[in-house]
Amino acid sequence: MLLAQLLVSGIQTGLLYALTAAGFALIFGATRIFHFAHGAAYALAGYGFVFAVRAGWSWPLAALLATVLAVGFGLFMDAFVYRPIQRHTGSFFTVFVAAFGVVIVVQSGIEIGFGRAFVAVTSSLTRASAVLPGLYLARAFWIALGAAAVLFGALGLFLARTRTGIALRALAENPDLLRAYGLSARRLSALAFALGSALAVPGAVLGAATTGLSPSVASHVMLVSLAASVVGGIGSLRGAAAGGLVLGVAENLVVSVLDTQWSEAAGFVVLFAFILFRPRGIFGAALAR
Amino acid sequence: MTAYLLNLAQLAAIFGLLAASLNVLVGYGGIFSVAHAVFFGFGAYAGAQIALNVAPDVLLVSAAGGLVAGVLSLALALPALRVRGEYFVVASLGLQMVATTAFTEAEPVTGGLGGLVGIPPPQLLGLSLASPWAFLAVCLAALFGGLAVMRLLMRGSFGRSLMALRDSESAAEAFGKNVALLKTLAVALGCAIAGVAGGLFALQMAFVNVESFTLDQSVLVLAMVIVGGAGTLAGPLVGTLLLLLLPAALSFLPGIPPTEIGAVQQAIYGLAMTLLMIFRPAGLAGRAQGKR
Amino acid sequence: MTPQAMTPPLAVRGLAKHFGGLAAVQGVDLDLPAGLITALVGPNGAGKTTLFNLITGALAPDAGDVLLDGARLGPTTPRQIARRGVARSFQDLRLFDHMSAGENVLAAIEPAAWFWQPGDAAARRAAAAAALADTGLTAAAGALAADLAYAERKFLSLARILATGARIWLLDEPASGLDPASRARFVALLRAAAGRGITVCLIEHNLDIVTELADRIVFLDQGRKLAEGAPEAILRDPALAAIYFGDRA
Repeated sequence: MLLAQLLVSGIQTGLLYALTAAGFALIFGATRIFHFAHGAAYALAGYGFVFAVRAGWSWPLAALLATVLAVGFGLFMDAFVYRPIQRHTGSFFTVFVAAFGVVIVVQSGIEIGFGRAFVAVTSSLTRASAVLPGLYLARAFWIALGAAAVLFGALGLFLARTRTGIALRALAENPDLLRAYGLSARRLSALAFALGSALAVPGAVLGAATTGLSPSVASHVMLVSLAASVVGGIGSLRGAAAGGLVLGVAENLVVSVLDTQWSEAAGFVVLFAFILFRPRGIFGAALAR
Repeated sequence: MTAYLLNLAQLAAIFGLLAASLNVLVGYGGIFSVAHAVFFGFGAYAGAQIALNVAPDVLLVSAAGGLVAGVLSLALALPALRVRGEYFVVASLGLQMVATTAFTEAEPVTGGLGGLVGIPPPQLLGLSLASPWAFLAVCLAALFGGLAVMRLLMRGSFGRSLMALRDSESAAEAFGKNVALLKTLAVALGCAIAGVAGGLFALQMAFVNVESFTLDQSVLVLAMVIVGGAGTLAGPLVGTLLLLLLPAALSFLPGIPPTEIGAVQQAIYGLAMTLLMIFRPAGLAGRAQGKR
Repeated sequence: MTPQAMTPPLAVRGLAKHFGGLAAVQGVDLDLPAGLITALVGPNGAGKTTLFNLITGALAPDAGDVLLDGARLGPTTPRQIARRGVARSFQDLRLFDHMSAGENVLAAIEPAAWFWQPGDAAARRAAAAAALADTGLTAAAGALAADLAYAERKFLSLARILATGARIWLLDEPASGLDPASRARFVALLRAAAGRGITVCLIEHNLDIVTELADRIVFLDQGRKLAEGAPEAILRDPALAAIYFGDRA
């Protein structure tokens, strides 16, 4: 039963990873920008939520603030960091260093404001009930499952059925199509950053309400999103979602054989193996070399 | 005060060597590693073990550090041969995370979280280097020796080949260059020198633990190279001095509580990295015009 | 002298390459005789650059062979091809942008990957200097490749090849966009090379340059060889002209 229990918590972690990584993949797919600062959107949303709840706000209102913070951050990065850089060089490494700088600023800002220790909001979400003898499911599990189902469903419909959604997918491959549709690449890029960053919010809010947050969550989430995207195939939404799930499950299952210290490293062993043996990922097309 | 300055000067020399070694990968080879602290760590642990179990001789310790880091650099060369660009950055991030865990867990070798303590004062061929001045001289000799070697190689055909494949891998290959071997050698050279710096670091600190070999350290070293100017000989030194003097300078600023200095310093260099990339991507010592 | 009667230094037989459902090159035979300039002509998407990529090992063919001096090559890499005396240029030049012009040429003739190069360093410097002088770049030798003017960049890509001493040159649109004076110098350089017995094959869209330069034309369309022969004959063929210009209209 231990294995089943670990699998269940792996799926819970994995679903939230999947949403966050899908946000990263959405941004990359639409803009070809490797948004290394995606984790900072997660951290800002999570800490914003904690701040609001501590200040006595209701949870929905606090979650709204978290969303506003994440979306605002995404839009800020698009307009004031990535776009100026792409105007002069566009070299991916310049983008990487700039984004990493922002992650460091956010992380140390959080340290100054909230301290280095874990913070969390107290909730009943972690209270588990037995669904089978010996197998417990917390309410957080059902919320993660529900959020993932609703958001992936909505996202799928939006990208497949609406004109804007189709254009968003076409933005990177075929800028001409946009002109034909009469849409602005700039506005679509902003939309991708807004949507992608918003997808980090469920993970951040649930993280704050269950395991808690620490300042290093920004780089942790960044790594997870990157790893999930590589494992799934960069730029593929489906791939990022699958990759996130795989990583979440791997992190939890490894605890049954190794020390918990290794749970984070397990994800990166998976990542490393993929880069060495299947760099295109599970769903990715052939890697352009 | 003198002791403090001497300590700072020793660290500056060691980190200058470390940043210069990363510059071989990042600046000349276009191999954007975010795992350089791992090889600094390999060198430091190897050097510390030698100092504790054999002799704290500077030559022995740095040779051991360089050798171990150079051999283990294959872990970085492999992904460098398979993937490029963002993918490689992600791979090196993964390597850094796994190595941090391994350093923490491999207690028999690394001492775990507590680290290796009680490293004896350094010697050189039986002569004591306990005096900070003497050890500073050794660190400076290592720095300038390392810089001389790198300058020779980077100004020669090896450096040209490396830069050629950085600028256009397919063209370099079309002119008969063995891209795989070049990358492997560049990674081995950069990581071996990082290992030498690690060995010196172990002797300088007299103790090592995993805190010095985390992602934060890798990013700090990367920032030294980037801020100074990647692909230039002087750049990494300029960057090292700036980023090492920053915390010292901050501690003299009024109004910052001492407990927050670390975070404020991080925020400042994070901001510096971002602003520099927006306004002067070639770094302080690089060409003002970042043309590509 | 009839160079055609001798074994051509480079030939391809039945070369084919598909990308997904698209047949980029389908069963092409081609002989490149020594000392002649052969122009590959055809509308966009005719498979000209793909042919270069197949010959140089940048792509693996689905079928067919590349023959060097009549001997089948088998699976190969760009590096091995380069070492057999085949040099190529790229349509987008692929200069080593952050190195000086002089270093660009020097790097092209230092193939060993080890920390040092075997052989005579002074001779290599002399060869590089000669290549720069021949292409009129001596004064620009110290300038970064990225900072050179358009025509200078084109000449630099030729200087890199010139310095290698390669006996087979594959040039992808080497003269496109050059002003008339530069173009005349360019034509003279290639003519002189062919005069020394070098096998030159170039992809070119500008038919004026082709007429001025080429000894032979090979006309490709949709991955197939449609015709080959003397420039006048090919360019006068109304059917080929319809294909060539029809694509542009």
